[in-house]
Amino acid sequence: MSEAPEILRQKFLQLFGWEKRKRRQEILTTLVCYSLLSALLLLPVYFLLPESFLRWFIPLPIFFTLAPFLFVGRRWRRGDSARALVHLDKALHSDERAITAWELMETKATRPAALLVLNQAAERLKTVDPKALFSRSRRWQDYALIPLLLVWGGLLWFDVDSWLSPDIQTPAQQGLAQKLREFSRELQEKAGSEGLRQSLQVGRELEKAAQKSIESKIADEQFKSELSGMSSKVEALGKPVGNEPSFATAESRQSLKDLKAELEAAQELLNLPDGAKGARDVGQPSLDRLATLPQLKRQLDQQGQANRSLSQSELKSVLDAMDKQVTGELDRRTLLDAQQFLEQLAKQGQAEKAETNARIAGRGEQDFPGDGEKAKSNSNRPGSEPGTKEEAFQPAPQLPAGAATHLKGMIGEGNSSGVALKAKPSAGKTEVSQEEVIATYRRQAEQELNTERVPEALKETIRRYFLSLETKQEQK
Amino acid sequence: MESVAEIEQRMQSARRSFDEVKAEIARVIVGHEDLIEDIFIALVCGGHCLLEGVPGLGKTLLVRSLGEILSLSFSRIQFTPDLMPADITGTNMLTDDPSGRKVFEFQRGPIFAHIVLADEINRATPKTQSALLEAMQEQNVTVGGKLHRLEHPFMVLATQNPIEMEGTYPLPEAQVDRFFFKLVLEFPTHAELSRIAELTTASPPGALREIIDGPAILQMRQWIRDVPLAEVVKDYAVRIVLSTHPQKQQGNSAAMAQKFVLYGSSPRGLQSLILAAKARALFAGRPNVAFDDIRAMLLPSLRHRLILNLEADAEGMGAERILQEIVAQVPEITANSL
Repeated sequence: MSEAPEILRQKFLQLFGWEKRKRRQEILTTLVCYSLLSALLLLPVYFLLPESFLRWFIPLPIFFTLAPFLFVGRRWRRGDSARALVHLDKALHSDERAITAWELMETKATRPAALLVLNQAAERLKTVDPKALFSRSRRWQDYALIPLLLVWGGLLWFDVDSWLSPDIQTPAQQGLAQKLREFSRELQEKAGSEGLRQSLQVGRELEKAAQKSIESKIADEQFKSELSGMSSKVEALGKPVGNEPSFATAESRQSLKDLKAELEAAQELLNLPDGAKGARDVGQPSLDRLATLPQLKRQLDQQGQANRSLSQSELKSVLDAMDKQVTGELDRRTLLDAQQFLEQLAKQGQAEKAETNARIAGRGEQDFPGDGEKAKSNSNRPGSEPGTKEEAFQPAPQLPAGAATHLKGMIGEGNSSGVALKAKPSAGKTEVSQEEVIATYRRQAEQELNTERVPEALKETIRRYFLSLETKQEQK
Repeated sequence: MESVAEIEQRMQSARRSFDEVKAEIARVIVGHEDLIEDIFIALVCGGHCLLEGVPGLGKTLLVRSLGEILSLSFSRIQFTPDLMPADITGTNMLTDDPSGRKVFEFQRGPIFAHIVLADEINRATPKTQSALLEAMQEQNVTVGGKLHRLEHPFMVLATQNPIEMEGTYPLPEAQVDRFFFKLVLEFPTHAELSRIAELTTASPPGALREIIDGPAILQMRQWIRDVPLAEVVKDYAVRIVLSTHPQKQQGNSAAMAQKFVLYGSSPRGLQSLILAAKARALFAGRPNVAFDDIRAMLLPSLRHRLILNLEADAEGMGAERILQEIVAQVPEITANSL
C-alpha cells in the first residue's frame, strides 16, 4: 500500500492548520484595529457614558459585537482549503498536483491515474514546511495596531474626549465654576472671621454647588440657570428683615467693622471685675472709658444713651442689640456682594469685572461715603467710564487728650485692614489702662493671625510677642 | 487493471511519441512547432482542425507529412464552387456484377481516408460544405440511404484563405463549431524563410519515418480521457467559457464580452478546451491538468467559436485579443470554486 495518501493527509493538515491559525490572527488584528478605530471615532460621544472610567472599556463592546460577524463570516471553508492548495502548487511549481491530489483523496479515487497523481504530489510535498513556505504577511492592520492603541490611549489619557464633547464645558466655562468656588471659599473665610453666620452658610452652599458643577461637568446653560437661581436665593436672604430701618444701614462698611470691634472691646470692659462693682449702675470710669471708643460713642450719642444713667445690664443689652444690628447689617451687605457676584458671573464676559468689583467691595476695605446706601445701586457694578478713587484715609478725628488709640496694624504687604486713627497725644496720665490696651491689641492680633495674610511661620512669633508684652506687664 | 507503473510507462510512451512526431515533421516543415503540436493534439483527441493562412505556407505538405509519419491514409480535396457533395462522400455507380446483372456499387469519395485535407473549404457552396458536416461529427456518411462508416482515426484539416474573400462562401457557424481547433499559420520569420529556401531547393530529404499508427493513436485517445482533472481547474475553464457570453455576468471580464461579442462559445468549446488541456498534460508527462494547460489551449479551442459584433469589427478587435483580455481577468480560483 502506498504511503502517499498518509503523507499528503499530514501535509494538508499542517497546511490547513497553519493557514487557519493565520486567519484567526488576521481576524483578531482586524477586530482590534476596527475596535480602536471605532473607539476613536466615538470620542465625541464619550460624555454620554454614565461613568468617566467606562471610556477605557469602549473598544471591548465593539470588539465583541464585531467578533461573531468576522469569525463566522470568515470561517474556514472548503474553498479556503482549495485556495491554500492552489497557492501551494504555485509556490512549488507543481502544476496543480496538490489540489488535484486533495480532490482525488476526498473522492477516494483508486484509479491508477489518480494514484499516480497522489504519488507525484506526495513526492513533492514530502519535504515541504508550510510555515516556512507561507510565512505571515504583514497587512496594514498589523502596522496600524500599535499606533492606533497609542493614539487612542493618549487621547484618553489627556482627556481629549472632553474637548470634543459639545456638552462639556469649555475651559472658559469651567472657569465660571472655579471662580465661584474660589469666591465661595473667600466668602466663608471672611464670614467666619467676622462671625457672619448667614454669609458663612451661603458660602458653604455656593462652594458645594461649584464643586458639583466642576465634578459633573454641567453644561454651560444649565450652570448659568443654576447661578441665577442661587443669585435669587442669596438676594432673598440679603433683604432687611424688619420694616424699621436700623441705624447700621446708614453706616459704611468700615464704620460698621470699627463699631463691631469697639462693641467687643466695650463688652470686655463691662465684664472686667472693676467695672462690675456696682451691680446696678455703671461706674463713671467705665463710662469714661466707653467714651474713648469713637464709633460707639457716636452711636450712643445718636441714640441718646450717652447722657443717660444706665445700669450695667441695661448698657450690656444696649451693646448687645447694637452688636446684633451691626453683625446683621454686615451679613446682609456681604450677601448682597455675593448676590452681585453671582449675577455678574452668570453674564458671560462680565465675570471678571464682577469678581473684581466684588473683591473690591468685600476685601478692598476702602471706605466710600454712603457705601451702605449704595449697596443695591449700580455703583458697585462695572461702569462704562473709569471711576474716580477717593482718598483711602479719612482725616484723623480730633480726639481728646488721653483717648485710647485704636490702631489696626498693617501686616505684610497690601492694603490696610482697618482704619488708621491718629490721635494727638495729650500730656498727663492715660485714662486707659495698659492691660486694656494690651488685651485689645492681643485680640486684634489673634484675629489677624487667623487670616491667611499672616504667614504660617510667623504666627507663633507674633503670638509669643504679645504674650511677652503681657508677661512684662505682670512682672512690673 | 493497470498499475501505477503502467500508467507512468504509457505516459512516457505518449510523450516520447509526441516528441518524435514533432522532430520528424521538423525535417520537412520549418517552424510552426506550436501548430504541429496542436494538430497532433486535435488528432489524438478525435477533433478536426480549421487552418487559416495565406497560400504557400506549407499547409498541404504539413498534412501529408503527418499522414506519412502516422502511417495513416491521406486524401486531399480542393474545394471549388462547382464541387458537389458526391464528389466528397462518393456515389453509387451502375456496374455489372460477375453474373452480368446491372447493380449499383458505392464508389467511396475522398472523405474515406484517415486524414482529409479540405483545401480552401470556403470556396465550395454551403451545400457541399455541409456534406462534410455529417462526416466530421458522426464520422460516417450516408449515400443512397446506406450508412458508410469512416475509418478511425479520422481527421479533417480544412484550410481557408483569410485574405481572398471574393467568390467565397464563409462557413456557417454550425459547421465552424464542429472544428476542434482553429489554427492560424503565421508567416515565417527571416531565419525560417532562409531554412525553407535551403530545404526546398536542395535534394529532398529522405522518406519520413513512421512513428505511430492508427491503433496507437486510438489508444492515446483513451489515455487522454483518463487524465484527472481537478474541480477547481474545471471550474476555471467553465468560468472562462461563461465569460465569453455577453449575457452571463462573470465579473470584470463580462464588460469585454458585452462590448464586442454577439454570441459566446458553445459547450463544444468547453469540451474541446478541457480535452485538449488533458492531452497537453499527457504529452507534457504530467498526470493531471494544470491551469496553464487550460490557458495554452484557450485560443485554438475558442477563437472560432466567438461571433463578434459590428463594434468589434469597427475597432479591429479580434477574437484572440478578446479571449486574452477575458483570461487575464478571470481568477484561477474564487470563493465559489468548490
